[in-house]
Amino acid sequence: MDNPEFTNRNKLRHRAGRIKSTIQEHWFAYLFLAPLLTYLIALLWVPFFQGIWMSFHNWPFFGPKTWVGFKNYNYIFSWAPFYASLKATFAYLSITVIQLALALIASLSLANLKLSSKLDSIVNGIFLIPYTMPPVVTGALWLLLLNPLYGPIFKPLLNLGILNEPFFWANNGTTAMAGIVAVGGWTFWPFMFLVIHAARESIPAEYYESAEMYGANKLQTFRHITFPQIKSAILVAVSIRVVWNLAKVSQPLQMTEGGPGYSTSMLAVLLYRFAFDRGQLGLAYIVGIVLFLISLLAVLIFLRANEE
Amino acid sequence: MKIHNMFQDTKITESSYSLLWYSAIVMLLLSVIVPYFYAVTVAIRPAEYLFGKSYVIWIPPEFTLEHLKDGFDLVKASLINSTLIGTGVAVLSLIITIPASYIFGRKEFPGKSIAFFAVIFALMFPYILLIVPISEMWIQYGLFNTLPGLWISYQVFVTPFAIWILKDFFADLPANLEEAAQVYGLTEFMAFVRVILPLSLPAIVAVGFLSFLTGWNDFLFSNMLTTGTGPRPATVVIYNKVVGTERPFWNLIISASLLVGLPPLVLYMVARHYLAEAFSTA
Repeated sequence: MDNPEFTNRNKLRHRAGRIKSTIQEHWFAYLFLAPLLTYLIALLWVPFFQGIWMSFHNWPFFGPKTWVGFKNYNYIFSWAPFYASLKATFAYLSITVIQLALALIASLSLANLKLSSKLDSIVNGIFLIPYTMPPVVTGALWLLLLNPLYGPIFKPLLNLGILNEPFFWANNGTTAMAGIVAVGGWTFWPFMFLVIHAARESIPAEYYESAEMYGANKLQTFRHITFPQIKSAILVAVSIRVVWNLAKVSQPLQMTEGGPGYSTSMLAVLLYRFAFDRGQLGLAYIVGIVLFLISLLAVLIFLRANEE
Repeated sequence: MKIHNMFQDTKITESSYSLLWYSAIVMLLLSVIVPYFYAVTVAIRPAEYLFGKSYVIWIPPEFTLEHLKDGFDLVKASLINSTLIGTGVAVLSLIITIPASYIFGRKEFPGKSIAFFAVIFALMFPYILLIVPISEMWIQYGLFNTLPGLWISYQVFVTPFAIWILKDFFADLPANLEEAAQVYGLTEFMAFVRVILPLSLPAIVAVGFLSFLTGWNDFLFSNMLTTGTGPRPATVVIYNKVVGTERPFWNLIISASLLVGLPPLVLYMVARHYLAEAFSTA
């Protein structure tokens, strides 16, 4: 009869020995990963849980903190602008569609044209320009272009009498959203282009030659060769962009200041307004938790789609 | 005869397709070039040719360098901050990501897939909510309103991206480099330092550039974690000039903006080759 305690201890000792030998064998790998793991724990997971702790407090930027339990949560979830912000968040996510459409058009056109490599590189480079600059810079640029009084878009419309009076697009919830969506689409599509075009370029030319041999037309070639090969790149690009688009603050904030009211305050902007303008860190973090859950959901959906 | 006709048909559809592709490319190019062209002319035109006329001027009859000079004066001090922030972010991110990417790209060990999943998770993490606890922690640890505070906090979103790119580069190096080095008596560590690192220098420089411009381009973290007396970068100065002004002086703002946008543009053009390479194996 085995003494159960004895076998358990033996098992434990055996396991400890195994861990020790694993570490001895792979010490080099673990040592090299140490800085990364330290960063992941100290900069991602510790603050993440610290934030949850903060969300149960009345927590100003400076000064005393008081425990309030679920009061912050009750406040946020019964506060009408929070739902305006949720709505704005989903409306703003439509920039992902613009980004994907522009990236696909650019990549497919370039692939079909077979420009000389020098010209191809120049076109590629020009496409990237908006993405390389700070979003605050491109935001300033478009604030001038879209200026209702003397911007080059609206001034001619005024002069021609198409507009009777200056069109202050930032003062209306719907047009303000349309404005930041258009500019956000224009600014960030090159990232999707980079990812999708890299996948498109790595499809072997023989695939297309044999498709041509079998008499496949353009649409068939796209459906049976190009799309299956770039599908996973599209999913990767879209899921990363969705998460990053959800986190956009500077450009929309600069263009509309989250207004009028809260109609262009996406969750990320709302978080900023709570933290920076009102100095209420506990409330800000609750907005952050909702943002986190939405991002997580989006990523899970895309992972699922990628597996299929 | 029939064959001849068919040949002509395909030729016609081919060229009409080409026309479609060309016009798509031209439209996209114009969507970038036209706004930037206008911005550049605004930066170098006297203010009266922007505000004073009742019609839009695309090519001003006179030019001036006055706005560019004033714009430079506006952001001069903050450009130094941006440079210091970007450089520190790049150096720190390389210290963290070079060893880790090397291990992910070339070594097998228990727990590898979990560790790499943690990196992917970090890549997909909506990092901006961390600004809340990080502000609080930085105030506590004395990192608020300091350069090291910014260098560390930017790693939240610089590091996962850098690993994504570097890992594939290391993985694509020839398979037996380390073994060959060990035959010559080098230790595992020295093989990494003397053989792998020199071969990877171009990719490392490219990733360093990308980290640099992430630090340079960001507004949110630097705005939250600094005050007017601290290391404020140029993006915050431009933001305040646009948002905090009743009647923005656009010639000045656009001049300053273009000056701030130029360095990351140049760095990106140098680094983009490696980006495309990494994405093609992702």
